[in-house]
Amino acid sequence: MLSPDLVETVLRQALEGGADFAEIYAERSRKRRMTVRSGRLEEAISGLDYGAGLRLFFGTEVVYAYTNQLTREGLLEALETLLRAKGALGQVDERGAGGLDFRKASPKGLHTPKVPYGEKDKRYRLERLLEAEAGARIAPEIRQVEASLQEWEQEVLIANTEGTWAEEKRVRTRLFVLAVAQEGTEVQTGYAAPGKSVGLELFDLFPPKEVGAKAARQALTNLRAKPAPAGTMPVVVGNAFGGVIFHEALGHLLETTSVAKKASVLADRLGEEVASPAVTYIDDGTLPHAWGSTEVDDEGRPTERTVLIERGILKSYMVDRLGHLLTGYPMTGSGRRQDYTFAPTSRMRNTFIAPGDKEVEDLIASVEFGLYAKELGGGQVKPGSGEYNFAVQEGYLIRKGRLEEPVRGAMLVGKGPETIRKVVAVAKDWENAPGMCGSLSGMVPVEVGQPHVLVSEIVVGGRA
Amino acid sequence: MTLEEAKRYLLRRARELGLQAEVLFQEERELSLRARQGILEEIKEARQGGIGLRVVAQGRMGYAYTEELSQEALEWALSEARDNALLADKESFIPPGQTLGSHDLLGEGLSAPLETKKQSALELERALREDPRTRSVLMGSYMEKEVRVALSSTLGTEGAFRTGLAGMGGSLVMGDGPSLKQGWDFKLAKEFHLLDPGRTALEIREKTARHLNARPLPTGRYRAYLEPKAMAGLLLVLSRSLSAKSALEGKSRLLNRLGERIASEWVTLVDDPTLEKGLLSRPFDAEGTPARRTVVVEKGIFKTFLHNAETARTLSQENTGHAFRTYRGILDVAPTNLYLEPVGNLRLEKGVLITEFMGLHAGANPVSLDFSLQALGLWVEEGEARYAVENFAVAGNLLELLQAIEGLGDRLEWEVMGAAFGSPLVAVAELSFAGA
Repeated sequence: MLSPDLVETVLRQALEGGADFAEIYAERSRKRRMTVRSGRLEEAISGLDYGAGLRLFFGTEVVYAYTNQLTREGLLEALETLLRAKGALGQVDERGAGGLDFRKASPKGLHTPKVPYGEKDKRYRLERLLEAEAGARIAPEIRQVEASLQEWEQEVLIANTEGTWAEEKRVRTRLFVLAVAQEGTEVQTGYAAPGKSVGLELFDLFPPKEVGAKAARQALTNLRAKPAPAGTMPVVVGNAFGGVIFHEALGHLLETTSVAKKASVLADRLGEEVASPAVTYIDDGTLPHAWGSTEVDDEGRPTERTVLIERGILKSYMVDRLGHLLTGYPMTGSGRRQDYTFAPTSRMRNTFIAPGDKEVEDLIASVEFGLYAKELGGGQVKPGSGEYNFAVQEGYLIRKGRLEEPVRGAMLVGKGPETIRKVVAVAKDWENAPGMCGSLSGMVPVEVGQPHVLVSEIVVGGRA
Repeated sequence: MTLEEAKRYLLRRARELGLQAEVLFQEERELSLRARQGILEEIKEARQGGIGLRVVAQGRMGYAYTEELSQEALEWALSEARDNALLADKESFIPPGQTLGSHDLLGEGLSAPLETKKQSALELERALREDPRTRSVLMGSYMEKEVRVALSSTLGTEGAFRTGLAGMGGSLVMGDGPSLKQGWDFKLAKEFHLLDPGRTALEIREKTARHLNARPLPTGRYRAYLEPKAMAGLLLVLSRSLSAKSALEGKSRLLNRLGERIASEWVTLVDDPTLEKGLLSRPFDAEGTPARRTVVVEKGIFKTFLHNAETARTLSQENTGHAFRTYRGILDVAPTNLYLEPVGNLRLEKGVLITEFMGLHAGANPVSLDFSLQALGLWVEEGEARYAVENFAVAGNLLELLQAIEGLGDRLEWEVMGAAFGSPLVAVAELSFAGA
């Protein structure tokens, strides 16, 4: 995207302007989205994002600019704007004199798609979407189905004044199916959305018809579900996307973005027991083809597997460059950003609770009265107080150790550090699922995951 | 190419190819200044722009956009948009255009010197630390955004406007003994000089501190008072159901309910893109339909959906001029400045004052309008707040909540969440609370 010569010129001038460190992140992304409703393609859009972000450090002060002008003039103008904003223009620094020796790392292709874009045309995609839609039409109560395909091909270049030169092509594909079920005036929805860092082989991994049927079954379940009961009770949280509870309740609290500012209730707790001994919590950016995997992070460092909590003991935080400067903890390849318009911050990649040794049936059998939160929607957390919430998308009551009728509208509410201590049992059936995570540096793809876990008590928000 | 050249190129090429085309171009300038511990920890200054294109080929619509303005990229966008149209299976059209003029809705609003803006961010951050209960300040910040939008089509649409916003806000953690609360707020205005860092910091501190030493709330049904910020979140969820596009997609429970009572008689809901100081006012919508005030719900009666040209034609209803599109997106319908009209008949008695909802994107279903949301609140009795309550969720259905509104305050406050949502304090007869 950019020549080493131009990159070097910009970075060197940044050092001459007084910066201690400078970084360029350039991006060229092709994005496509197709949406099918009522048996026909309703909307299709193709797009090209093209821009660069320039980040300079003066100590731990950061200045950031972005532009769509990836020319010499465009980048130097962005740099000048930054130096002027910082008030450092004209403070020529000697360190800029030498040349930069870029260490160009070749991508290993760990997440290269099997079916590249050019191999199949748009009609092939449309047919798969129609299959997904048809797959959802399993009952007359299913009144509306929407199936979308989202494709994303992001080429990035990250170079910095320490000689890093990293390039990566990141391909991601996701299928969304929304099913709306209606009976009388009652309307409920179901949703399924598998996604991976793969090409169109996504359709082989997740046959569209089955994805559609899954969304529809959930909508029908919710249609006959009663409002969830309200109160504090034991909850068995489902595997795969169930892991979103600990993404919110625990993961965000371990990002240096809030840890460095002591704005996390888990700051300064390394080596302490912060979770139940049943919990080992891992953030792994290297899982092949996972939705949140990349070979390098958005600061150009190789991603890695970071054990955050081992048998309840806090082992590591997620650390980006600025977090490293502020805390001294070693970087973990966790610097991420939505796109060139954001400076990176420490973010999760694929974060999950490691499998335990229990059977799912045993978890449910041990509950006298409680909730089985089979599928979860999204959630939110305030790291400074640990307060979190997340929505149950498909839930069932447990009575006397048995799964009973479906309930809807349950919202789980609590404080993360308390909830993670109340994990009393972890099953064997580990699985991950994709989602989008929003924070300071924008929306990034992440996986969340876990086996089934039993939490001894959570506040369940339903109808009182 | 410049954006202007790119626009002319695309329209000319579209005509040559026999396509109807509409080009939306957008250019943004952003400045954000983030202060912490008395220094500016992040300064961001940037420009971004792009072209969104939609074309009609054989009566069907296709979309593409590009931020790269090379001839190659523009040709790619044009051919992708045409391919996308030819694959689509729904009749669609670009409305006939008109000359809309060039409007400046910003003026000198953001013209203060950079140094002054820096000082205001630092001052806000310092003022956040001035409370002995402040444990840490995540940031105090100033942000401004200036946007230039222009719309042109092969059917004669030609118009442009410039607008922008300035904002100040901050985030902090406050503590009292073991009780910790994180607070965050952001104030927006059309002009820099209308912002007041000291007052904003004080409000953030007060609004956060009042939640300290919260008690659990027993599960039960209580009268609820919703602060404007909380109600604005619910209006955001409701706004999806007010979209005629959602209705046509089978995603609104309000379809076929025009003329019916959907809320209590105290509820009048208006969207007004022409408000003089409206945070998201605009002279015309994304299809070039001139802006005007729309009464959506009048004294509880559902008067109209929000429409763009296509939804209006499909439902044989009047176009309200609510077409929405960014250059990166497809045509949608969205409100601008949507607000609940103040009434002034509200008296605080006994119940839970809900100050903020959390997890709206997950806990409120814009189709079913069911919600089950974590909330922060205060227990009120005899007209005053007695203590904070926490660790609870509020559940219900938005249409039932609208029916149960029995009082509205007399002062409108605004929150920007995509669109601007305004509300006074709202009293709801009864809601279901899940807690201890």
